[in-house]
Amino acid sequence: MTSSRSAWIFAWALLAPAILYVLIIVAWPLIETFRLSFTDASLRKVVNYVGWRNYEKIFNETFLTVITRTFIWTFFSVLLKMVIGMCGAVLLNAAVPGRNLFRILTMPPWIVPMAIGIFMWGWMYNGQFGMISGLLQRFGLVDGPVAFLAYGRSAFWATIVTDVWIGVPMVTIYFLAAMQAIPKDLYEAAWTDGASRWTRFRRITLPLMSPAIITMSMLSLIATFNSFDIIWILTQGGPSGQTTTMIIDTYQVAIGSKKYGEGAARAVVICIFLSLFCLAYFRVTRRLQGVDKA
Amino acid sequence: MTTLFRTSLIGLALAGTTALPSLAADISWIYCGDRIDPAHEKYIAEWNAANPDYPVVPEVVGWAQCQDKATTLAAAGSPAGMAYVGSRTLKEFALSDLIVEVPMTDEEKAAYYPNIVDTVTFEGTQWGVPIAFSTKALYWNKDLFAEAGLDPEKPPTTWAEEIEYAKTIKEKTGKAGYGLPAKTFDNTMHQFLHWVYTNNGKVIDAEGNIVMDSPEVLAALQAYKDITPYSVEGATAYEQNEIRAIFLDKQVGMIQAAVSTAFLLNDTDINWGVTDLPLGPNAAGKGTLLITDSLAVFKGSGVEEKAVEFAKYITQPKIQEEYEAGGLAGLTPLRPSTAVDTMVAADPYWQPFIDGIEFGGPEPLFTDYRGLQNVMIEMVQSVVTGSAEPQAALTKAAGALEEYK
Repeated sequence: MTSSRSAWIFAWALLAPAILYVLIIVAWPLIETFRLSFTDASLRKVVNYVGWRNYEKIFNETFLTVITRTFIWTFFSVLLKMVIGMCGAVLLNAAVPGRNLFRILTMPPWIVPMAIGIFMWGWMYNGQFGMISGLLQRFGLVDGPVAFLAYGRSAFWATIVTDVWIGVPMVTIYFLAAMQAIPKDLYEAAWTDGASRWTRFRRITLPLMSPAIITMSMLSLIATFNSFDIIWILTQGGPSGQTTTMIIDTYQVAIGSKKYGEGAARAVVICIFLSLFCLAYFRVTRRLQGVDKA
Repeated sequence: MTTLFRTSLIGLALAGTTALPSLAADISWIYCGDRIDPAHEKYIAEWNAANPDYPVVPEVVGWAQCQDKATTLAAAGSPAGMAYVGSRTLKEFALSDLIVEVPMTDEEKAAYYPNIVDTVTFEGTQWGVPIAFSTKALYWNKDLFAEAGLDPEKPPTTWAEEIEYAKTIKEKTGKAGYGLPAKTFDNTMHQFLHWVYTNNGKVIDAEGNIVMDSPEVLAALQAYKDITPYSVEGATAYEQNEIRAIFLDKQVGMIQAAVSTAFLLNDTDINWGVTDLPLGPNAAGKGTLLITDSLAVFKGSGVEEKAVEFAKYITQPKIQEEYEAGGLAGLTPLRPSTAVDTMVAADPYWQPFIDGIEFGGPEPLFTDYRGLQNVMIEMVQSVVTGSAEPQAALTKAAGALEEYK
C-alpha cells in the first residue's frame, strides 16, 4: 500500500464519523421530508403518492399572506436587533465607570432559559395583571387594561419585541468583539485631525465593522426566519392567525392536524428560502474574505 | 457429569429463571397528569397481583405532551397498550386504524349519565372507555352583583339576562361583567360550545352532515357579539384558566367554569355562587358541553384484549366513584349513584354540573379534530374582534368544516 493511499484511507477514516452523522441527522431527514411532501402521509397507515398536489394546495392566498408576514416579521426583528445591538456595543465599548458591570447586565436575556423569558413577557403583556398595562394606566396614558396579545397588530409587534429582547445580547457581544478589534491608532489619528465622534463612528467604526454586521445580519436572518418558540408560547399564531409565520403554520399542519405530507411540503418551501439565505451568506462571506486578502 | 456441564446447566436454569418475569406481557398505560391518582395506584396494584402475566405499567406524562406522545408512538408503529386521550380524537384514531373497538353492553351504557356514551361512539360502536368527565356551570360574584345594584341571590337564567347583567356590572362598577375567553386555545371552542348546547344547537349530525349554519348556533354567535363589549377587555388574549384568575381577583362578574373552580373559591373570601348555564331562546333544557377523556386501546401492542379488560376494570363504577370522590382532578361524576347523591347533598354547588348533562352535547367527532378547532376559534375570534358579522363568520366556518369531517 502506497503512503498516499494509506493517507487517503486515514483521512476518510477520520471523516467517516462526521459524514455518517451528517447523513443520518441532516441528509436523511431532508430527503425523507422531500419524499413525504409528495405523499398524503397522515396518521393512516396507507400512504399514497399525490404528485405536486400538496404544493398546489398550499400556494393559495392564505399561504402567500403567511409568507409575506414571515418576511415582514423577520425583517423588523433583524433590523431592530442590529440597530439596538450596535448601540449597545458602542455603549459597552465606551470608557465609562462600571463598564464591566454593564457588560454582565447585558447577558440575562441570553442566560435565562428562553421559555421562561417568553412566559415573563407574556405576563408583562397581560392586560389585567401585566406590568406594561399597569404602568400605562398609572401614568394616565390609557383608560383601562390593554391586552397587547389580544389584537393582531399589537400581538405582531409584541412577538417582535420579545424576539429582539432575546436576540440582542448575542448581537451586542459579537459587535463589541468586532469593535474592540479595530486598531486604536485609527481613532487617535482621526481625533488628532479634529474628527467628531459621529465622524469617527461613521468613517472608521462602521466601515471596519461591515463584515461583522453583514455576517451577524445573515446569521440572525436565518435564525429569526425559523423562530418558533416565541410566537408559539405567546400567541400560538393568533389572534385570527395574525402572528402565524411559516414555521408556525407548518407545525400546525404537520403536527397539529397530523397531515405529514402537507406539512412536509411547507417545510420544503421553508428549506428553499433558508437555502437561499445560506447561499447569500456564503457568497457574501467569500467576497468579504476576498476583500480581506486584497 | 463434568463440572463444566453442570455449571452450564445451572447457568441455563438461572438465566431461564431470570428471564421469566420478562415473559409477562406488560400493558403500558400512558397516564396523563403529574402523578398517578391514589385510587388508580391502589387498583393497578390489585390488577397486577391478580394478573401477573399482564401487569399494567403506567407512564405518567404531563398533560401538554400526553396526547402527542400516545399519537406519535402509535403512528411510529410502536403503540402503547393503552392511553388516556381526549375522546374528541377517537374518530381520527379509529379511521386511521390505530385503536380497537371497545363495545359496551346495553347494561354498561345505561349505567352512565345520558349522552356520555355518545362522546366515545362512532359508526355505532364505542372506541374508548370514559374515565374523566367535565361539565361547566356559571359562577357569579355576589359582591359585584350587589355593587352594580343587581340582586346578588338572583343569577341570570337566560342569555338575555346574562348580557343585561354583564352590561349593568360594566356600567355601574367599571369592572368586566363577563369573562369571555377567545384566545387561540382549545377551550375557546369549548366555551363557545357551551353556548351552542344551551340553545339546542349542533355542529355535526349523526350522519356526518355539518349542520352548524343554523339559527340556534347563529344566536349563540350573536350573543357572543352582544356580550363582548361588557366582557374582559381583549378577550382574544385570554383562555379559560386566565379568565378564572381574573374572576379570583374579583375583576369580573360572571364566568363559565368547571367544578374545580369551586374548590379554589372555597379558599378565598369571595362571595360567590354557582348556577346552571343560562339558556338561549331555543333551549330544550339545561345544557352544557360534555367533555370526556377516555382510555383508548391501541392496535399492535399485542395485549389488546387484556388492555380492554383492564380499561373496563379500572373504570367500573366502584373504582370510578373512588377516583372521582378523591377530588384531585375535579371531575364531574360519569354515572348517577347514591354516592353522587350524597356528595351533592353535602356540597350543593355540585348540582348545576349534573343538571346540564341531560341536554348537553359531546365534543363533535371529526377526522381532523385540530382542523375543527382552528375553524371554530377563527370564527369566534372574528366575531369577538368585530372583523366579521356572526352570519358571515358562521357560513364561512360551516363551509370550512366540510374539509375536516
